[in-house]
Amino acid sequence: MLEEELEYYERNLSDWLNHYPGKFVAVVGQDVLGFFDTIDDALQAGARQVGLGSFLVRRIQEVEENVSIPALSLGIIYADSAPPIQ
Amino acid sequence: MPILHLQYNDQDRTVDGKRYRLSPLSVLHEKGPCIQITSCVASSIAEQLLQQGIAVPAPLPGIALIDTGASTTCIDMKIAAQLNLPVIDVVKIASASHTSIVQNVHPVMIEVVGVGIRIDIPHAIGANLAPHGLAALIGRDFLQRCTLFYNGPTGEITLSI
Repeated sequence: MLEEELEYYERNLSDWLNHYPGKFVAVVGQDVLGFFDTIDDALQAGARQVGLGSFLVRRIQEVEENVSIPALSLGIIYADSAPPIQ
Repeated sequence: MPILHLQYNDQDRTVDGKRYRLSPLSVLHEKGPCIQITSCVASSIAEQLLQQGIAVPAPLPGIALIDTGASTTCIDMKIAAQLNLPVIDVVKIASASHTSIVQNVHPVMIEVVGVGIRIDIPHAIGANLAPHGLAALIGRDFLQRCTLFYNGPTGEITLSI
């Protein structure tokens, strides 16, 4: 999912960091829908273009924000599969 | 100001099948702070769909567990599929059984049933929560907009915005 958009984002990140640091970019395929101050504006731009289809929205920053969900990481809740049968 | 106040109640059975009432303290301790919610697509996307005359999928009900250890809210992946939630990013999550797994990210709005607390979570992570009876894990991205009071001795929680 979003392979093309993610590859395009990685390819252009250094350039975007120079011009749009901290903004939110919305990407469909290899088309940039715009650079936005808020994530809501980026989501609206994506929905305007593809409705409920998928599109990439990501903040332009050097280091990605950390996601910490111990319930998933420790296997208390399984993120991608059913728990083992007891 | 919307306020949710809950005191937990449940029943169990003895070995000979007699029902008995569990104390609120033990229900909250064993099940955790669970709340009834509905989930639907984030409001910014819903507004845009309505402007285009596209039907917005109806909200789906479920149970959410408040998880103060989670930085980010998670939504059950089957509910995300039923709601047609767009995938707007992916994240890698470390797991006990894998080095890391890639999960989809969805923009969702969560409403706490009955009190009018509605919060947009633009980066909710899809996870397989249904086997645990959960529609969502409420993380700190939701809680940063709320006041949560956990009263262990009385088996009560209060959530407000």
